[in-house]
Order: sequence, then structure tokens, then C-alpha cells
Amino acid sequence: MAFNLWILLIPGAIIAVFVLVLVYYYNRIRVLSNRIDNAWSQIDVQLKKRVDLVPNLVNTVKGYMKHEKDAIKMVTEAREKMLSAGNAKDRMKAEGQLSKALKTIFALAENYPNLKASENFKLLQEQLEGIENKVAYSRQFYNDSVLEFNNLITTIPGSWFAGGRPVKEYFEATETERAPVKVEF
Amino acid sequence: MEKVSVFDQVESNRRKSVLLGVLVFFFLFAFVYAVSYIFFPEIFSVVLIFATVLIIAHTFVSYNYGDKIVLSSTGAKPVEDNRKYVHLINTVDGLSIAAGIPKPKIYVMESDEINAYATGKDPKHASIAVTTGALENLDRDELEGVIGHEMSHVKNYDIRFGMIVAVMVGLVAIVSNMILRSWMWGGSGRRGRGNAGLLILVGLALAIISPIIVRLVQLAVSRKREYLADASSAQLTRYPDGLADALGKIKKHNEGKMKVSEAVSHIFIADPNKSPLDELFATHPDIDSRIRILRAM
Repeated sequence: MAFNLWILLIPGAIIAVFVLVLVYYYNRIRVLSNRIDNAWSQIDVQLKKRVDLVPNLVNTVKGYMKHEKDAIKMVTEAREKMLSAGNAKDRMKAEGQLSKALKTIFALAENYPNLKASENFKLLQEQLEGIENKVAYSRQFYNDSVLEFNNLITTIPGSWFAGGRPVKEYFEATETERAPVKVEF
Repeated sequence: MEKVSVFDQVESNRRKSVLLGVLVFFFLFAFVYAVSYIFFPEIFSVVLIFATVLIIAHTFVSYNYGDKIVLSSTGAKPVEDNRKYVHLINTVDGLSIAAGIPKPKIYVMESDEINAYATGKDPKHASIAVTTGALENLDRDELEGVIGHEMSHVKNYDIRFGMIVAVMVGLVAIVSNMILRSWMWGGSGRRGRGNAGLLILVGLALAIISPIIVRLVQLAVSRKREYLADASSAQLTRYPDGLADALGKIKKHNEGKMKVSEAVSHIFIADPNKSPLDELFATHPDIDSRIRILRAM
């Protein structure tokens, strides 16, 4: 009698443990995968915010920087390119150009003391710099999330439960991003 | 330093918060039991029931509104003027994105000292407070380092444990003070009652030991957590020198004259008060060694 009971209990316990482990890893993989999707859309949110601020900047700057038509045109063009981008991926590609154009504007602004003293400009500059940082941070969080996900599904025992899911791709910084801006006068 | 994951830290903080809450609950209960037994033996059970309800209410309030108590006791005001503090708001927003947590509420304290803290019961109900001195004296990278440090406290639930320590242990300190007073006051009037004498003795012992316990708990809260938050801050900002420079400025600039309650001093990034007890039990790790560790990253 007692012998029969054990024969039932031991496989039962093993199956129960297996199911628990399976549920844990399934959920973990799902949670991390969702986090990556969320992080991706976070980057896009920041990029859109920046695009929305650009017309403000152009209007503020136009009156002061009459001789910098090229730089202003560069910003407007970069913004239009971002607006016309079909999906998030294209937007992120176009983003580097806008970054560069904005940096040029801020570098040129150093030559216009009246502009630099304007409250409106100061606020815009702070906001755009803040967004620039947020873009960088949201990318960082995206890459951190990807790292965690990839670690989970490529190491044992996570890889046993990954069901052949491919590793996610990291966000590669564009070459214009961290490079110092060259301003030609 | 042992390797700990954020997950382990969160678990440990949750466990310790519950443990401390239960401990303080029983301490208060024992205190009320003793006091009502000695002074109100006639209505003993009524007092006990009444007090138990009060203690449960207090535990509830400490957990849910502890952050408000901490914020108001340090004179922190919510940021309303968005234009004036746009830089601070941007920094906090950016780092909350980097940490992957909701944006904490932002508060500012009027003080020349450079200091900051975070509080709340979890990352969804978190607040970060910064002194005006910090905003005036720290540059962008340094402020990011400091906010990153606070953001780490938020993320790994240090804020919950720190808040409970501040509010509940702060109360224990007040209560043990009361025991001492009631003993002095009751001691001359009532005599006899063998049990009562014993209870008073226990009360007296608690009154003397409590402030030391408070300090020891704060000590256990602070030191290791500060190093961990420094390290996580560097991980968030990817720039350990920012925080190291900020700590250097704190060391040079601060005089330890913030005049906040000792019960909340452990949640600040740097000790806000100079206290005679610091010689024996400093609530914060030595700034120089924190800077040294950050510079070596």
C-alpha cells in the first residue's frame, strides 16, 4: 500500500516542479520581451516630442539669426524628414540628422548675445537638451533590457525554455551621435 | 563587496520592511500594555483595545502616508514653477527613463547645503527631494549623479524601508522618551505592586536602549545601501565621475547644519546633521571612500 503511494507521489512531484519552472521561465521571457517593446516605444515618444519643439525653436531663432539661413534650413529639413518617416525605425534613422542640425544651431547661437539672453531661447535650449538626454537614456534602457533578455534566453536553463526565440538586436548609435559637432563659419 | 542583484535587494527590502513593521507594532503594544496595566488597571481591557486600534491605524498611516510625513518634516515643497526648475525636472525624467521606473514626484528644500533624498512606499508612489543648494552648486553631470543615486534607492525599494525606519522608529524614540517621563512622574506617587516595578524597569531599560537601537537600525540601513546606490547611479548615468565630483563638492561645501530630525537623517545622500553620536556610529559612510570607489569604476 505504502509502496504504491510512493510510485504515484514521486512522478507527480517531479511533474509539478517541472510545470512550475516552465511557467516561471515562460513568464520571465514574456515580461522581458514586453519590456523591450515598451522601451522601443519610449525612444519614439521622446523623438516625437523633440520634433514638436522644433518649430518653436525655429520661430525664436529666426528673428535673431538672420544670416544663418542655411543652418535654420537644415533644421527644418531634418524635421520634415522625420515627419515623413513611415515607421519608428525610419524615424530613428532620420533622428541623427536633426540632432546634428540642432547642435549646429546651439553652437551658432553663441555668437548672438541677444538671442542667448532671451528667456524663451534659454527655456527651449534646456528642454531640447533635456530631450536629447532622454533619448539617450531611453536607448540605454532599451539596450539594458535587450541585454537582460538575451542573457536569459542564451544561457542555461533559460535557453531550454526559449523555444528557439532569436536574440533581440541592440540599438546601435549612429555615427553622428556622440561625435563632436563641427561648426563652419 | 558581495554581488547582489536588484531583484535580491528588492526582496530583502520588502522582507525587512515587514519585519521592522511587526517589531515596532509589538514594541508599541508592549508599551501600551505596560502603561495601562500600571496606571489604569480599572479600565485595562478597554485601554488595550482602544490602543490596539490606534496602533493598527498608525501602522497603516506610516506605510501609506509616511512619505508625506518625511517630506513635510524636512520642509520639502512640491515643484510647481515648471520654468524655474525645468532643468531638475528634465534630469529626474531622464533618469527615471534610464532606470525604467515611473517618474517620481519632485520636491525642493530651501537650504544652502547640497543634499537630496528619496522616499515613498514603492516606485509608483515615490518622491525625490533636492535642496536649492544642490541646484545652485552642482553642474549637470553632478546633479545627474545625485539624482541617479536617489533613483537607485527608489528602484530597489530602499525608500520603503528607509521611510518605515524614519516614521516608525521615530515614533518609538518619542514613546521611549515618554516611558522615561512617566516613570519619573509615576515613580513618586505609586508604590507597591511587584509586577509594576518590573514593568517600569523594562520600560526604563527600553527608554535608554531605544535611541541606541534607532541609531543602530539607521546604521544598518545606510552604509551598504549608500555604496550600492552609488554604484547603481554610475550604471544609470554611465559616468561615475559626475557623482564623485558631486560628493567632493558636498564634502567641501556642507557644514551639516540642515536641522532636520535625526529620525530622517539616514535617507539623505549625505549626513544632513552633525551629531555627537557620529564619532561612534556614523549614519553615512565616509565620503572619501565613496569617492575613491567611484573614481575606480
